[in-house]
Amino acid sequence: MDLYEYQARELLEEQSIDTPKAIFAQNSHEVALAADKIGYPCVIKAQVKIGHRGQAGGIKVARNRDEAILTAEQIFPMSIQGHKTSGVLVAQAKNILHEYYVSISLDRASRDFDVLATANGGTEVEQIAREQPESVKRLHINALDDFDLDAATSMAQSIGFYHADVDQAAQVLLKMWRCFKENDATLVEINPLAKIGDPDDESSKSLCALDAKISLDDNAAFRHDGWKRFTDLHQSDPFEQRAREHGLHYVHLTGEVGVIGNGAGLVMSSLDAVSGAGEDQHTGIKPANFLDIGGGASADVMSESLNIVLSDPQVESVLINVYGGLTSCAQVADGILSAVESLGSSKPIVVRFDGNAASEGLRILREAGNANVRVCDTMEQAAQVAAELASTAKEARR
Amino acid sequence: MNAFIENGAPVIVQGMTGHQGMTHTARMLIAGTNIVGGVNPRKAGTTVAFTTNTDAEQVEIPVYASCADAIEATGAKASVVFVPPKFAKDAVVEAIEAGIGLIVVITEGIPVADTAYFVELALRKGVRVVGPNCPGLATFAKDPAQHGVNIGIIPDGIVKRGPLGLVSKSGTLTYQLMGELADIGFTACLGAGGDPIVGTTLQEALAAFEQDEDTKAVVMIGEIGGNAEQDAAAWAAKHMSKPVVAYIAGFTAPEGRQMGHAGAIVSGGKGTAQDKKDALEAVGIPVGRTPGQTAQIMRETLAARSLV
Repeated sequence: MDLYEYQARELLEEQSIDTPKAIFAQNSHEVALAADKIGYPCVIKAQVKIGHRGQAGGIKVARNRDEAILTAEQIFPMSIQGHKTSGVLVAQAKNILHEYYVSISLDRASRDFDVLATANGGTEVEQIAREQPESVKRLHINALDDFDLDAATSMAQSIGFYHADVDQAAQVLLKMWRCFKENDATLVEINPLAKIGDPDDESSKSLCALDAKISLDDNAAFRHDGWKRFTDLHQSDPFEQRAREHGLHYVHLTGEVGVIGNGAGLVMSSLDAVSGAGEDQHTGIKPANFLDIGGGASADVMSESLNIVLSDPQVESVLINVYGGLTSCAQVADGILSAVESLGSSKPIVVRFDGNAASEGLRILREAGNANVRVCDTMEQAAQVAAELASTAKEARR
Repeated sequence: MNAFIENGAPVIVQGMTGHQGMTHTARMLIAGTNIVGGVNPRKAGTTVAFTTNTDAEQVEIPVYASCADAIEATGAKASVVFVPPKFAKDAVVEAIEAGIGLIVVITEGIPVADTAYFVELALRKGVRVVGPNCPGLATFAKDPAQHGVNIGIIPDGIVKRGPLGLVSKSGTLTYQLMGELADIGFTACLGAGGDPIVGTTLQEALAAFEQDEDTKAVVMIGEIGGNAEQDAAAWAAKHMSKPVVAYIAGFTAPEGRQMGHAGAIVSGGKGTAQDKKDALEAVGIPVGRTPGQTAQIMRETLAARSLV
């Protein structure tokens, strides 16, 4: 789960990492109150779970209350790369002397944790790594070892916090590591970690996290009360919400063929087969969703899954692709028929079964004699038929 | 012997007395796996009855208080873990400390920090972990009178012994490809798992198959997320003498969305199926467009090299 900046700040503050004063606001009234409280100039920042907000016009400085309100009203309706803005952060403007980049992330390849830092912060770290690889410092933290003050200090020295106090930087690194560990994060990134203060007064200078990005491990939610405090209600898709309530893995997509299968890999493969069929047939037909019914699914689970998919108005046809391991295809067949019956849906459904009780499942479907439910021998063929039916239905509606 | 474990090796089940554990212990026994014990401190000293398929004969599987007790009593060589996510780390650490050689972790939903911990511990102690979030390991004996092992949840009876090895990030795609190539057969099929960190990577599985003289070619099934396929490609280019044919799932997966598996996510433009396909093809590993086509390429590869 990715957090918004205003939520990520909360976790940094809990570790007493300095951040500028800031208030989250969701309407003009809240923005005016927040900006007056923060003082001017202030920065109005779109709260959206995607990078490059600045380039997209999602971060602006306001010098007075009118500007704050005007700017916020421009930002509220914004969508950045398809991500809706959920509000703005009204933040104190800081006098930046220098910008650093620091992140701690899960390293899948080396199976440990990766601390990445550069004294040339502020922009994309990938770009810096390409252009000046020598300026990017990297350190691995092993899962069995701890990252202590000594390690943090030597890291801070090697990064080259050349004007800032190395001890202060080491403290920030250490606190970031605690934030990472205690919250079961997979990413804690501060960019920029800014040196702020009066350029002529050495004692006024300090390090402050001006922006932060944090991702949390969904698998660890049970250790954190389900992360209720970060639940993103107004952003959630109603179909995804419903699937989640039934413990199903569902991702809403933009195409026309609803896809249901068992096992994440097989469902992804089915999505690819549908897209491939759409390309082959020159119709541009694409999958409408990813839905994994999981292992050992019952007739009820299948029925509920089909219910969710068929209630989506963008769905023109459905592809059901099941390889019965523990899951019995006969059970899946019963679930399909009961959902079709109770919904009275006329959308075509294409089924491909293999494995456990596949022939029995196919027999159940054939004997039911429902004209809207057809069966195919292979996954490729089923995807072709489902894409064709979706395209025909779409054309007929025009 | 095969790439991962000897035929008929004794196996213990951690979490045997839970629902998943009971269901799959029964299945593994019917598949001929030499299950010699379960571990549950609260039920130590009891036995659990399972029915094997031969004349509905019952076997009594003893339950031990700890992995150490179970290994001492049975000489177990491998453990399979069905323990829920909350307790999985302790269970795997216990198995590592008890000195078992192979630990297959089926559990889905383990926090990645826990996995990072036990995988690193296993690496230091020279123990092989397979998974987590995987279908397990199935091996097939050369001698038809012998059983290989079926450790985990891979359905039995799909395939017979043959010259292929298979490693996969996905369970059902494993069964799919096993089914497509059933007539050719396998030495071993290993589910590497769909989590961001796993105990045996695609590359490590390729290395094991390269060492195994009975394996002549390998099917590798990848999916979006991370760089395991690219790493395997780079390694194979230098070290693999046997042909590898790959399949990658998730070309249509949108950026930033987790597709079922915890590790199946494209983030910051990284971990796309196209990148993986490009990396594999660049080192001469063909990538099938569908599972069916992948199987077809494997058939052609075997025929071209007169391996079947």
